Amino acid sequence: MINRRNFIAQGWSALLIALQTWRPRKAAAEVDYFTGTEYVGKTRAGRYRDFYINYWKTMRRIDAERWTLQVGGLCEQPGSFRLEDLRALPQKTQTSRLKCVECWSAKAQWTGFHFSELERRVKPLPNATGALFHCGDEYLEFADLKSLRHPRSLFAYEMDGEPLTDEHGFPLRLVVPFKYGYKNPKAILKVEFVEEAQPGTWSRIGPYSTDGTILPGHDHPLDRGKIRRRIFGGEIRD
Amino acid sequence: MKALILFVLLMGGALPATPTAMVEIPAGEFIFGNAEFSTQSKPTASLPMFWIDRFETTNAGFAKIFPEHKFPNGADLHPATGMTWSEAAEFCKRSSKRLPSEAEWERAARGEMGLLYPWGDRPLKGKPHPFISGLVKRRVGYQKKDVSPYGAYGMAGSVWEWTASREGDKIIARGGLWNLHLDYEFSKTYEKILQAPDKGFSFLGFRCARSP
Repeated sequence: MINRRNFIAQGWSALLIALQTWRPRKAAAEVDYFTGTEYVGKTRAGRYRDFYINYWKTMRRIDAERWTLQVGGLCEQPGSFRLEDLRALPQKTQTSRLKCVECWSAKAQWTGFHFSELERRVKPLPNATGALFHCGDEYLEFADLKSLRHPRSLFAYEMDGEPLTDEHGFPLRLVVPFKYGYKNPKAILKVEFVEEAQPGTWSRIGPYSTDGTILPGHDHPLDRGKIRRRIFGGEIRD
Repeated sequence: MKALILFVLLMGGALPATPTAMVEIPAGEFIFGNAEFSTQSKPTASLPMFWIDRFETTNAGFAKIFPEHKFPNGADLHPATGMTWSEAAEFCKRSSKRLPSEAEWERAARGEMGLLYPWGDRPLKGKPHPFISGLVKRRVGYQKKDVSPYGAYGMAGSVWEWTASREGDKIIARGGLWNLHLDYEFSKTYEKILQAPDKGFSFLGFRCARSP
């Protein structure tokens, strides 16, 4: 039997359930969890609506004073490099688009140095076929030497004329514009030369190729209103 | 002896049989391209008879002419990829063949009826499986439903294929898979991608053609 009390109680229950389950989709996607905290992680909030941020795990922001790039594994002269050491290397700037396997892409101007500068200093052994990148968010990715030596590949410490933000991979990230974003590791802590190609973090858990070459398909460029367009594979030049 | 000479002459003068591992594409007019991209409501072209490889060139086949071509163990019969356009053309030339033109490739894929897919006008019920490689490589001819009216395999899926045709400074490639995040789609028989001739990609291979 429905009396007034039951009717009000049921009404409140229904309202509570509705409030718990209803979320405005766009607003939910734009919650900023990290600004002003000592952590950084995946976000699409604020200015990152124009260049999404993906991290494997939420991580503590890297202290520039304490960070050095460790380079080891199969190389003649392993070593560590401070950010100022890397900034002193011959500089290279390029504009390229980062294409995520999730279908979005975004373009930026990147400044840094070419792999050949690092290679000249640490001298990978003849049996090294590539390098593993160990990152601050516990992300692991492999890049073969051919891709690293490609003239469009770059170790970047600046983005659009400014030092990389923590969100975009401070202090150092790899830019390989003909490979999907998951082959462009950020917040690099260590480069380890290895003999055999191996799947990185995403390739181990999902249907993502170890190779990671951008395939013919669709792109939704964030800087062009996400309007879908066909791409032909390899680097997206516009 | 006379009979033997006559036999040899007859055989020499007769039309050659279909070369091994190739399918015959008869001469004739066919729907070429798509009205969406053409001024004609039903764009057509006409071609003489030719042959085209039943399958894409495999790793093992490619390595016979380019021994430096490396591929993983067990991938002998996977489509060869990563070669430049010149290397693909050279392989065909050294096999006494040539790369098919864009029109030849399309004719071989869609037949006289202008099919949207090699097997018909509707997509297959199941989408092509990306497998764990993400590159969707399996032995050539793996997808048995991906077969054209003339018996050529892998013209909507597997890898994209270099053709002999250009558009500006780019080469036209035909017939591979579209990647839509975790989904893959077969390409339609008139769809194309354009690539620089000096680039090689893990998703780009080829097959050869031959004229009588």
